[in-house]
Amino acid sequence: MTVCLLFAPMIGARPGDLTGEEASALAEHLASCNACQGRLADEEVLSGMLSEALMAEANRRDFSAFSDEVLARIPTLERAGARTAPQGGMLRPILGWVRHHRLLAAASALAPTLAALALIVYLGQGSAPEGAPVEVSSEGRSTMVLETSEGPVVLLGDLEPEGS
Amino acid sequence: MIARRWFAASTLAVALLTAAPTLAEAATVPVRVRIIKGSRQGPAAVDPRLADLRGQLGRLAYVKWDQVGEHHADMGLGKSVSLPLPDGATLELTLVDAHKNTVTFQVRVPARLTNSRLTISKDQRIVHQVTDEKTGEAYFATIRPWP
Repeated sequence: MTVCLLFAPMIGARPGDLTGEEASALAEHLASCNACQGRLADEEVLSGMLSEALMAEANRRDFSAFSDEVLARIPTLERAGARTAPQGGMLRPILGWVRHHRLLAAASALAPTLAALALIVYLGQGSAPEGAPVEVSSEGRSTMVLETSEGPVVLLGDLEPEGS
Repeated sequence: MIARRWFAASTLAVALLTAAPTLAEAATVPVRVRIIKGSRQGPAAVDPRLADLRGQLGRLAYVKWDQVGEHHADMGLGKSVSLPLPDGATLELTLVDAHKNTVTFQVRVPARLTNSRLTISKDQRIVHQVTDEKTGEAYFATIRPWP
């Protein structure tokens, strides 16, 4: 009886559930145990009846109209949603305000654009000019400008003799 | 009512952003002017106070550099300052234009009939000869905005 308790859970196992050793031990036990042979027979009958019953129930249902029924339910849900939500949603009052305050709405839409434009102009004015301009004029003498990355160096030349 | 206030606030913000460059330009620019002497003779040496000018001074034939004067001024747009030079002449410095990162100066030494207009960026400085060279020595002015 103790041995039967050990093998009872293995009876009715699906293929792959048992290891090779377990399967051979179960087969050896079944060959010599009438009680477990009876359990196996009951299990096989019960399993067959269950699958047959499920298949019979499935076959009795007609799924040909399933997709049509799902599609038919969609408008119903939309109508139900429309009843619970306010008319036109949140957009309707905003559109109404825009219709009554067209000028304000246009100006309000323009404000961020103008702000961005002003920012671009402001930043553009701050940028360093390409090649910092240097103008040096000197009467009667030559001048020389050395451009360095740290800034210009202006050198005065000697006075030129008059008439030169 | 709320919409009108919001519109007014937006308009004000735009006006402020547009006016920002004008306001920035109207502000004064702090300027540091140093008068320095360069000598061709003597051991090569640069006054430690002129260390920030080594890059520019090193390009010149003068080997010995000393600082002989320093002036600070907050210059408004179009405003001039007159600074005395060691030889008795006067240096006239005018802030001609100023932007966020650039500034334009006019440097005049009437006694030398010299007039320069120079635009530099915020991190640059001007080195300008302001006297003729005599016995291997000449004076320069170095001008730095936002020192």
